[in-house]
Amino acid sequence: MTMPLDTDPHTDDAHLLARYAKGDAAAARALTVRLVPRVHAQAMRMLGDQAEAEDVAQEAMMRLWKIAPDWREGEAKVSTWLFRVVANLCTDQLRKRPRGNVPLEDVAEPADPAPSAEAGLQTKARHAALRQALADLPERQRIAVTLRHFEGATNPQIAATLGISTEAVESLTARGKRALAHALKGQIDALGYVG
Amino acid sequence: MTDPDKTPPHCMAVMDQMLDDLAHAPVPDVPDAVMARVMEDAMAMLPPPGGVVAPVAVPWWRDMLQAIGGWTAVGGLVAAAATGFVVGVGGLDTVSGDAIWSLGTGTYYDGSGALDAFGWDFEEG
Repeated sequence: MTMPLDTDPHTDDAHLLARYAKGDAAAARALTVRLVPRVHAQAMRMLGDQAEAEDVAQEAMMRLWKIAPDWREGEAKVSTWLFRVVANLCTDQLRKRPRGNVPLEDVAEPADPAPSAEAGLQTKARHAALRQALADLPERQRIAVTLRHFEGATNPQIAATLGISTEAVESLTARGKRALAHALKGQIDALGYVG
Repeated sequence: MTDPDKTPPHCMAVMDQMLDDLAHAPVPDVPDAVMARVMEDAMAMLPPPGGVVAPVAVPWWRDMLQAIGGWTAVGGLVAAAATGFVVGVGGLDTVSGDAIWSLGTGTYYDGSGALDAFGWDFEEG
């Protein structure tokens, strides 16, 4: 019995994409099953909005189908390329949102005094503030920080993605996190973090 | 303005904590409708079996050849040019070799006329 393409660990994404480019519908199904959950999860983390995350996931996959005939195996990893596309689409989406809509005062004095409701609001406000601050980072810093924390990527993996040295990754992520801390300065206590 | 490089260490720890919290926040499963939409796009954009054949670059002279009517037209042009050349050369032979000098814009020396005139003038005194 043959293993379905999407669960076969020996068939990598680039190979499937090459098969899709040659008109293989089974490869399209395998890539969809493999990649859409990851792409959607990344978009959800970065946007915190289900409808927007779905649109971003669909758009990112659309770009993948479009680039398939021109994809050159061995040049980049499909998952890394998609991560970048999703990160940029999410950033565009976040930058379109109106500013300063994080209801911190609601966090300090919630309408419902139950601890779970307060905690839920606080988490929501914390994530929204962080997403907005991430969107304001320069692209390379944002990619380095999100790859490290969201994907658990190692320094050499981030270095390969960005085409820089491993030492430069360390400095890039540190600068990114300093910029985030600077952007969220004054909100950290209100967001429920104690330094 | 505060220098971001002077961020206190505890703020950096808080940043790590915030980022990790966001990374581990539960994410809902992808709705089936989204998977279906993505598959629909994939099928709509599925290249033909065997893939898309990249267009071969055509040299400029082949474009020009097509513009004037292809190889048949080139054959006609060559025949017309050859005929014109033969007719031209034949015409020159029937007049005289000197006629070719009349095509130029400069003056030339007419040897036979001058010698004849010199002879007669001399005899007449």
